[in-house]
Amino acid sequence: MATEETKMNSGWADQDQVPGIKSELMELNMGPQHPATHGVLRLLLETDGEIVYKVTPVLGYLHRCAEKIAEGINYKQWVIYTDRFDYLAPMCCNHAYVTAVEKLMDVEVPERAEHLRVVAAELSRIASHLIALATFGLDMGAWTPLLYCFREREVILDLLERIAGGRMLYNYMVPGGVRYDVPDERWVSDVLEFITMLETKKIKDYNQLLSYNKIFIGRLGNVAVISKQDAFDYGCTGPVLRGSGVKFDCRKDDPYSVYHKFDFDVPVGMGEMGTVGDCWDRYMVRVREIEEACKIVRQALDSLPGGSCQAIELKKPVKVPAGAAYSRTESAKGEMGHYIISDGGQTPFRNKVRSPSFCNLQVIEKVGVGQMVSDLVAFVGSLDIVLGEIDR
Amino acid sequence: MEQKAIYELLAGKIGAAALGFNDEGVESYAEVAPEKIAEAALFLRDEEQLGFNQLMCLSGIDWDGFDENGKGKSVAILGYSADGKPETSDRVGEGDLGVAYSLYSHEKKHKFTMRVRVSRERAVVPTVIDVWSTAGWHEREAWDLLGIRFEGHPDLRRMLLEEDWVGHPLRKDYQMPGQWEQVPLEGKDMTASPFTPTSTPTTGPTPGAEG
Amino acid sequence: MSKDSTTPPAGYDVQRENLLDFKVPAQLQQVLEDDGRDDDKNFMLTTLDEVFNWARLSSIWPVTFGLACCAIEMMATSATRYDLDRFGAGAFRATPRQADLMIVSGTVTGKMARRLKLIYDQMPEPKWVIAMGSCAIGGGPYFKYGYHVVKGVDLLVPVDVFVPGCPPRPEVLLEGLMRLQDKIRGREAKLKTPKWVTDYAKKIPYRK
Repeated sequence: MATEETKMNSGWADQDQVPGIKSELMELNMGPQHPATHGVLRLLLETDGEIVYKVTPVLGYLHRCAEKIAEGINYKQWVIYTDRFDYLAPMCCNHAYVTAVEKLMDVEVPERAEHLRVVAAELSRIASHLIALATFGLDMGAWTPLLYCFREREVILDLLERIAGGRMLYNYMVPGGVRYDVPDERWVSDVLEFITMLETKKIKDYNQLLSYNKIFIGRLGNVAVISKQDAFDYGCTGPVLRGSGVKFDCRKDDPYSVYHKFDFDVPVGMGEMGTVGDCWDRYMVRVREIEEACKIVRQALDSLPGGSCQAIELKKPVKVPAGAAYSRTESAKGEMGHYIISDGGQTPFRNKVRSPSFCNLQVIEKVGVGQMVSDLVAFVGSLDIVLGEIDR
Repeated sequence: MEQKAIYELLAGKIGAAALGFNDEGVESYAEVAPEKIAEAALFLRDEEQLGFNQLMCLSGIDWDGFDENGKGKSVAILGYSADGKPETSDRVGEGDLGVAYSLYSHEKKHKFTMRVRVSRERAVVPTVIDVWSTAGWHEREAWDLLGIRFEGHPDLRRMLLEEDWVGHPLRKDYQMPGQWEQVPLEGKDMTASPFTPTSTPTTGPTPGAEG
Repeated sequence: MSKDSTTPPAGYDVQRENLLDFKVPAQLQQVLEDDGRDDDKNFMLTTLDEVFNWARLSSIWPVTFGLACCAIEMMATSATRYDLDRFGAGAFRATPRQADLMIVSGTVTGKMARRLKLIYDQMPEPKWVIAMGSCAIGGGPYFKYGYHVVKGVDLLVPVDVFVPGCPPRPEVLLEGLMRLQDKIRGREAKLKTPKWVTDYAKKIPYRK
């Protein structure tokens, strides 16, 4: 284990080596107000100099009682709370929730609505990955990529604002469809134009600026390797699991919505700059997923069918038949699942949210041990956590 | 693999502890006696035909005497006899707590759901952290929000709330606190007009504070 | 002791006279007469307070204190399109000891409340607080059933400017910042709520 090795090498933890000098592990508190913990995460570290012996994450600084609230309000009202789970990719969270409700309701969603959902969710995924790139660069000391990534993100937010009405949190999807149709034909062409620009120019920019930067690679290659076994064991999903070389994507392996109609790849980490499952692999999976998301958006818009957008009247609250089901979708961070128990009324009896960041972060207790403190910052950045969905 | 076939394999292993199988709803599930859950989990993971290597979700539930499939389908554990065997009852539990395990196999690509139910007085379920490490935090969360104790968990502290928090919020009979440790948690008076200032800010440059 | 030692050196009187003979320059004389309103005279009369306040409002350093969704909008405000640096408030400090503005951007929970108070106490005087978003103003969507949510950050620390929205757009945050600058300047806010808005808002039924 890494702990034993580092103990042997460092020598300072061994008190007998320097006679008369007593050394002990230092407790270091990282967060909850810390620029590199992506929100209000708190890490309790036990370190020997720069080497970390123990990581204990302390959560709950953003526990907003969403599951309790779910038991008090009706199904449609709760969509706004799913927005606020993963506020970087709210459309993906909306999608996860409405998919779960529809599974219990057994309702047929119009094809057009499904296509629009896919477009919105994938645009949201791109926005989320852009933030991941930006903040990851920021953690590594590169300020410039943030400005580039936010520039493109603003365009996505504008596009989504035109279709959903909100700038950042949308409340766009409802059980049975989506709230609004495409505003005009120009919206479709604008999205396609943006996607083309992203594919042809911008991703190259990011790669030049950050991905293949020598310092960046040196900082991330071979750092914080998550093995395949660990990834399965700790329930990692999304880019973290794929970064470890596992080709698993809910959109492919457990298809929901209309994802089976589209042709796209599932990028996995290949260990180009070190070992499979290191920080650079996880980072690169996100960059490649942006390209794949672009492909999906183009296909979904090219084959956009006509017809209505809602199967259920918008203003009526939905009634869900009694039953329980677990439904999962691929959010930007990984597998977003909802375990909903309904008693046949207008409010859920219990709504448990399985959030991807919650499970992905857990692996830090094992992999974070034996790292340098500065590498731990890189590791947390490469996990791309969002505290909104960890604490809920 | 068919859900029913998985259940039969499981029932062959744990015997009478497999309390029933229900496939009437949207999603089928198996009811398992709580004291055998760790054994069942290990079997589901390690059996070659099954290979459930991912615990997708572990949900704690406060059933509160409710059963979504009608009466008699689910069995409440009323207590334990001297030799550790559960005393079950046919009636739907009153004030039961429960845990649902949603499993997935990356290799075989099939899913399975197990459920256990325990009484409110003795809400103890053996941990499955040795089988899937991801259960660790999920179980801590279930303890925090629902007060289900997981026996054998190495680090069963509260997950989201502070250690000195009183009560388990997701229980149906939970009373909201007005204050906790001098932190106000009650809302302001919403009947007051928003145009009459309720608080006067006191910050800003104070005379003599310079330098 | 000779008389010479106490005799001032030659030319002393002239120097002294020059020193004492303070004549108001013609330029300044004119400025004083014009009440200092003439700008091309390169003179400005002011109080020390105003200078200090001008310096403070022109370089507000906020503390990096992102809590929830609004933190992303705060980042967006400081990033490419909106560029908070135009207002001199783009230097986000990671430590509260170097900051004079706390933007409470997001939901304050019970667990976070103590830390928020601690960070506020660590900031040097003078300091200001902006409550950004409906959660920080009054609990927002988590008002009901939110057993762990503090319903408004003004229950914990004094707030200078409330910025509404869920989350507020970057433009609104910039507006809030400018109102804060007005406040530091000691000037009444330029933008008054139009009468039709107050009239309309009074018609909204409030929960009893």
